[in-house]
Amino acid sequence: MNHEFIHRERHLKRIQATIAGMPSLSTTVVKVLETCNDPRASANSLKQVISLDPVLTGRVLKLINSAYYALGKPITSLTRAIIMLGVNTVKNLALSFAILKNMQGNGTFHAFTTDEFWLHCLCVGVVAKSLAAFKGLMPAEQEEYFVAGLLHDLGKIPLNKQFAEEYYQVWESAGRKQDPFYHWEDRLLGIDHCKVGSMIAQKWHLGSSLVESLSHHHDPDECTEKNRDLVSVVSLANLIAIDLKIGTAGDRLVDKGLLVDLSAKVGVDYSKLSNFQESVGKEIDRAKIFLEIAQKG
Amino acid sequence: MILKFWGVRGSIPSPGPNTVKYGGNTLCLELRLPDQERLIIFDAGSGIRELGDSLSADNGNKGCLNADIFLTHTHLDHILGLPFFAPIHNPGTRLKIYGPVTCEEDPLEEVIGGQLSYRYFPIRQHELGADIEYIDLMEGKYNLGRGITLIAKYLNHPLLALGYRVEYRDKVLCTAYDTEPFYNVFCTDTSDASFDEILASEGSRAAREENRRMEEFFKDADLLIHDGQYTQSEYENAKRGWGHSPIEYVVEAAKRAKVKRLAICHHDPLRTDCQLDELSQVYVNEEYAGGMKVFFAREGQEVEI
Repeated sequence: MNHEFIHRERHLKRIQATIAGMPSLSTTVVKVLETCNDPRASANSLKQVISLDPVLTGRVLKLINSAYYALGKPITSLTRAIIMLGVNTVKNLALSFAILKNMQGNGTFHAFTTDEFWLHCLCVGVVAKSLAAFKGLMPAEQEEYFVAGLLHDLGKIPLNKQFAEEYYQVWESAGRKQDPFYHWEDRLLGIDHCKVGSMIAQKWHLGSSLVESLSHHHDPDECTEKNRDLVSVVSLANLIAIDLKIGTAGDRLVDKGLLVDLSAKVGVDYSKLSNFQESVGKEIDRAKIFLEIAQKG
Repeated sequence: MILKFWGVRGSIPSPGPNTVKYGGNTLCLELRLPDQERLIIFDAGSGIRELGDSLSADNGNKGCLNADIFLTHTHLDHILGLPFFAPIHNPGTRLKIYGPVTCEEDPLEEVIGGQLSYRYFPIRQHELGADIEYIDLMEGKYNLGRGITLIAKYLNHPLLALGYRVEYRDKVLCTAYDTEPFYNVFCTDTSDASFDEILASEGSRAAREENRRMEEFFKDADLLIHDGQYTQSEYENAKRGWGHSPIEYVVEAAKRAKVKRLAICHHDPLRTDCQLDELSQVYVNEEYAGGMKVFFAREGQEVEI
C-alpha cells in the first residue's frame, strides 16, 4: 500500500464525515430559520428560501428520494418534493440543519467568501433555468435545470471545510497559473470537487441527472447521452456565471473558445448570451433583497 | 388470507366505556396465509400486546415464533406496543422488523429500539430474548418468498410513512394509513402577493399525479384498510395537513380504484362507539358505496380475504 493511497483514503474519510453533517450556508441561514420558525410561513416562501440554499435543496431531495421511487426516476423538483413531504416536514428538516453554530469555524471559505460562493451557485442555477426556458423546456424541467445549477459546486463545501488551508493554496495556485480551479484541487488534495459532488449526489440518492451534473460540469462530453443536454447547460451556465463575475467559487477566468463551443452545442447563439445578463441580474437582486430583509428584520 | 384487527385506533390508546365496541388499542394487524406458518404483522401499536399474549398461549411459551413486522412509520402510536409484545422476551423468537427511514437519518434499530432503553423500559434492547433484525424500507416491490409479493408505497403523512400491498394467490390486501390526499400546498389565490403561476400549476399537477398513483396502488384490492380518521367537514375545517383522511374522499377513491372491500380505520381517539355507529349508518350501505362493501374496522374482527 503506497503513501499516496493512504493519503487519499484519509482524505476520503474526512470528506465523507463532512457530507454526513453538511450545514446550510451562512448566507441563507437567517432567512431559513426565520421562515421555518414561523408557523404561518407559506409554502411559497418556504420554497423560495430553500431554493436559495444548495445544501438545503439537496437535503430536501435526499429525504424524499430516500423513500420514494416512482417509475425508477428520482425526484429532482423542489416543488414536487414539498408537495410530497408536506410543509411541516420540510420546515423540520430545514431547522435541523440550519443551526447557526455550524456556520462558524472552518466552514467559512478563505479563498473567497461564503456569500460569493452562494452567489455563484445561485447564478448558475438561474442561468441554467433561463437556458432551459430558451430551449423551450416545460416549467417542471426548467426547475430540474435550476436545481442542477444550484447544486453543481456542492463538492467544494466538504473540501473547504476539511482542508481550509490547502484550499486557499488551490485558489492561489489556480489564479497564479491561470489554470482551472479543479486541476489544482486534484493536484494538491488528490481529489476534486466534481468527484466529491458525485459522492454527495450518490449518497443522497439524487439520481443520475444530478450525479452527472455535479461530476461532469467541467467535462460534459464525458457524461451519458441521456443527461448530456442537462449537463452541457449546467456547464455553459457555469462559464456564463464566471464571465458575468456574479459571485465566485474559485475560477476567475473563462476560456472564450470553450464558451463559444459549448454555446453552439447547447444551441444558443453566443452573441446573444449577453441578453441573459439583465434578467439574471434582476433575479439575483430579488434573492438578495429577500435575504437582506430577513437579516434586518 | 385471514386478516385480524388487534388495534384500530389512531394517535393514542383510548380505553374507556365509549370505545368498548370498536376498541381503544392503536394499530396492529395480523395476517395469516393459508398453508403457511408465516405470520405477518402490520404495526406495533398497543394492539400488539394482546396479539403477543395470544401467540404465547398458542405456542405454549415455546418461544419458537418467526414473524415479519412491517411498520408503516415510526410515530409513537404505531410502535409503543413493541416492548409489551411478549414473544420478544422469549429466546428463540426470530423477528424481522421492516420500516421506512426517518428524516433524522437514524437507523430503524435506534428509532424503535430506543424505546427499550432504561429511561423508558426496565428491559434493554440487548437483554431481549428474541433475535431481531431491522430492515430499512423504501418504495418498491419485494419478494417475501413462497409466492408472497409485497409492494411498499410512499404515503402523505408528516413523517415518512409507507402503505403496503400484499399479493398472494390472486388475492390482494392493501394498507393505506396514516395518510391524507396529496394537495397543492402552494398559493392558488391570484390576488395574493405571493402568487406564482408556475408554482401553483406545478403544485396542482404534482398533487393530482400523486393521488392517481395512490389509487393505482390499491387498485382492485380485495381488502383495502384505509385511514378515515375524519369526516370531510372536520378535515376541511381544521385537520388538513395532519396526515389523515376524510372518509368521504376515501370511499370515492376506493370506488374509482374498484376496491372490493374497504375497511376504514385509524379512528380518532375522541370518536365514540355511538359516533362510529352513526357514521356507519351513512357510509355502510351499497347505495352510497356503489356496490363496494365498506365497514368501520373493529378490534378483534377477523376478515377472510
